[in-house]
Amino acid sequence: MEQSGTSALLQGAVQDIASDVVSALRGGDHVRMSGTMAADDIEGGLALAAVRVLGADLLLPHVLFPTPPAPEVLAVFRRTVEAFPLRPDAAPTVRWSHWAMRRTLLRLDTPLNGPPGMAADPEPDAGWLDDAPWQTLTHQLAVLTPLALPGEDCAVALAARRRPVDVARGFVRAVRRRDWQQAAGAGRWLTLLDGVPDTLGLETGLDFVELMGGTDPRVALQVQAARVVRAAGALV
Amino acid sequence: MPSIDKAIHDTTSVRTDLEMALDPVEPDGVFRDSRECAALALLSADTKLLLSPPTPRPKKG
Repeated sequence: MEQSGTSALLQGAVQDIASDVVSALRGGDHVRMSGTMAADDIEGGLALAAVRVLGADLLLPHVLFPTPPAPEVLAVFRRTVEAFPLRPDAAPTVRWSHWAMRRTLLRLDTPLNGPPGMAADPEPDAGWLDDAPWQTLTHQLAVLTPLALPGEDCAVALAARRRPVDVARGFVRAVRRRDWQQAAGAGRWLTLLDGVPDTLGLETGLDFVELMGGTDPRVALQVQAARVVRAAGALV
Repeated sequence: MPSIDKAIHDTTSVRTDLEMALDPVEPDGVFRDSRECAALALLSADTKLLLSPPTPRPKKG
């Protein structure tokens, strides 16, 4: 499928920001956003849109390690949440990624001894995952990787936890289809799930996904996130 | 195209692309070639499951 000019620009911007997150995950450092973030022009709008696509994973290093994010990065994150409010007809994945961003903002933007800056949002509905075939389940979970966090107990994480074999099957399918982004996302989820078949060879599988797709920073981000989670003691 | 029209067009395009990125359709799969299978076999000496087709499930009804 041919990409529009803005689509290619948006994907490039997403990859740039994902690279910044990967660097922070590898180095245990703060996320640094190298691009300009002036929201008044189209480039600034594009950058905010790129942050919206990456979603809560922009601040993933600060959730996993955990450290406070740089104020300017947090400000961009907050501005992105405000710039792209939910539309009434938003798809479930859009609702959940928006929820994840607001929840992350609530978690990281609250002064240590002060009142919370915003109230916690009610969770969107996740019923569409319960009846989803394993292929669809894996695809949707790979889109919602910002929710794949240790200790996460939202409805999407619970849906994944109920179907570890289906997610494992989806991981294998994604590898066989050379869909490295989906494979990396499914692999990140699998590091958090109990009941994953030992015969899957998840660690080797993630190495392979990185070998084949790791030049895409979005793939590298998921693989690196899985490694950080595994190193922190999550189930593998 | 006047600059204001271009700005509106660009912004609309970004919105459209953003919505597609947040709710993407699964891309068509491309199955591995033999070179990649060989690489996987080398990496996965102890594990053969990735080289196997997905386990068939019995059909209901």
